[in-house]
Amino acid sequence: MRSLLLAVLAAYVVSAIHSVLAFVNKRRALQRVSDWAMATGFVLHTAALVADWFVDGHYPLFYLRETLSFLAWTLVGSYALVRYRYGAHALGSLTLPAVSLLVFLALLIGSPGGTQEPGFSGTWLFPVHTTLLLFAYAAFFVVFVASVMYLLQERELKLKTFSAIFHRLPSLITLNEIATSAAATGLALLTIGIATGMLWSSSRYGLLWHNDPKEIFALLTWLLYLLLIIYRSTAHWRGRSAAWLGVAGFVLVLFTFFGARWMGGYHVFG
Amino acid sequence: MSIVLVGVNHKTAPVEVRELLAFSEEACAEGLRALVDGEVVSEGLIVSTCNRVEILTATTSGRIKESRERITNFVSQSRSLPHDLFRDHSYSHIDDQAVRHIFRVASSLDSMVVGEPQVLGQVRQAYSVALEAGTAGRVLNRLIHQAFRVAKRVRTETGIAANAVSISYMAVELGKKIFGSLKGQSVLLVGAGEMAELSARHLINAGVSRVLIANRTEESSERLAKEFGGEAVNFERLADYLPDADIVVCSTGAGEYVVTANMARKALNRRRNRPAFFIDISVPRNLDPAIGDLPNAFVFDIDDLESVISSNIREREREAERAELIVDSEVMQFQQSLRVMEIGPSLGALRQKLQDLARSEMIRQRNRLGHLTPEQESAIEALLLSTVNKISHPLIDRMRRSFDGGDNESIQAWREVFDLED
Repeated sequence: MRSLLLAVLAAYVVSAIHSVLAFVNKRRALQRVSDWAMATGFVLHTAALVADWFVDGHYPLFYLRETLSFLAWTLVGSYALVRYRYGAHALGSLTLPAVSLLVFLALLIGSPGGTQEPGFSGTWLFPVHTTLLLFAYAAFFVVFVASVMYLLQERELKLKTFSAIFHRLPSLITLNEIATSAAATGLALLTIGIATGMLWSSSRYGLLWHNDPKEIFALLTWLLYLLLIIYRSTAHWRGRSAAWLGVAGFVLVLFTFFGARWMGGYHVFG
Repeated sequence: MSIVLVGVNHKTAPVEVRELLAFSEEACAEGLRALVDGEVVSEGLIVSTCNRVEILTATTSGRIKESRERITNFVSQSRSLPHDLFRDHSYSHIDDQAVRHIFRVASSLDSMVVGEPQVLGQVRQAYSVALEAGTAGRVLNRLIHQAFRVAKRVRTETGIAANAVSISYMAVELGKKIFGSLKGQSVLLVGAGEMAELSARHLINAGVSRVLIANRTEESSERLAKEFGGEAVNFERLADYLPDADIVVCSTGAGEYVVTANMARKALNRRRNRPAFFIDISVPRNLDPAIGDLPNAFVFDIDDLESVISSNIREREREAERAELIVDSEVMQFQQSLRVMEIGPSLGALRQKLQDLARSEMIRQRNRLGHLTPEQESAIEALLLSTVNKISHPLIDRMRRSFDGGDNESIQAWREVFDLED
């Protein structure tokens, strides 16, 4: 499936470059190229994942390589939704390079040789658990990007000095809406994701909670986004403070995703 | 065929001169018919706006000086002005300079405010007057249509018209950066000055649905309320209306702060921290600058707006440099298409001449051939014509290429050899 993934990478790189150029030059033609390249990449990527599933015989979300590729796929899906719903293509100039990087890393790591077959592919709960969590991470990435853009733009409006990027960003209200709905979606996914993980764990080990670093960080993440949602919905926090929380939340997500790997524990992968 | 343009604009002539030179629409049509004589000047068009008067003509090559003189005289006479007045303030451009000038005018690169959209409409209007007067022929048709295309390219491919360069429009642009769409937003006008009125008009055009007007003298707020379909509200109860307003435009003559930081803080709390946009176009300022320190409040006073505008103008000027490149390449294209347009008929005529020659030779020698079947007759004709064509084809091809390439020396040589018309 390596060649297919290479094609995916090529499409995403084309899309990312055009998206960044469109952001800098404000050219609609470039944006169209970016959109089409992304759509092509997404279709190929979906095909690659399905093909992986059939060829390798397990849900393509187990090894780090697979996880990175899958994460890239969820990111593209989330960005495409935001792009369609809010027309906020400015987000693409940050998302698409990240996506390209993830696919590149997935290619670089390659297959571990397939010696260690995942032993728990038997139950459907496990893939549901991992898939939901990856979608939650993607949603939180959208929150993060929208929050960063919000903070940049808010700062320029307060200081009344506008840099070149000012005119390329979506409006404050739009960014706020994107962050709010993405955070709500992310939290819902995270909740069900954690719940299915617990169910799966209890059915396999008879234990709901292992107290490993990843679980603790996931819980912290969950609490933080819950706080964010509560604050946003009661409208005590809007704008800056909520945006900062969106950034902080993503740092925690990164830590949950990557950091916990190096701290050991029984969660073996992303 | 040459293109000659004579004109004045805001850079070469002060408004006192420009207003004397301006042509009304009727004067344009009438003047064009007088100017175009079919001998020196074969086509004409007049663009007359408050910032410029441009006389654009297609004239016979080699009589450029004459035509320039004719245009200058025409303007002076038809406006009944001393001859020197127009000549002293005008510029004249010939061929690719003239083409470049009209492209720049249509794309608003030559405007006082670079990128302003009106001038294209004015050129369009001037063209339709010339069409009606019957003075726009194949050269100007092609030139003006290409000018429209250049203007469109410049508008879509560069950011020349992207950012606001007037205070009243700035309110709309910044409002959009905060609220996204202005549809359904409400605006509160504090004070009913001219600038506030203008801003309100722009905001309403951009979709603001509710207008509240608070003014010390009730008559003016009532008048504005009627005009905008808004509501006049009690100036003393300003604080009560503040939370309803997404955008506040302040322009009273008051000597103190009309909206204090405290009032704004309460309003923002009542708005549940929805952002609010305050514009202060009054001097001395009517909005406490401390409002700007409150979260979700964005305050712009007149100096802030001016400085954003000047940075926007700089941005437009940077984009204008990119636009000039587009104009350059379009000028080259036009020159080429003009050459093809000019030479097309002459080359056709040349081929026709050679073919006629072949046919007349055939008629001269026909008797000597005796009786021929119709098939034989047409075979002989085909033989003659194809020989002529085969021999002349590389020749005509070469000629066309030297015309396309603008190789003046060879063009002159071809003209002399084949006795081609200009």
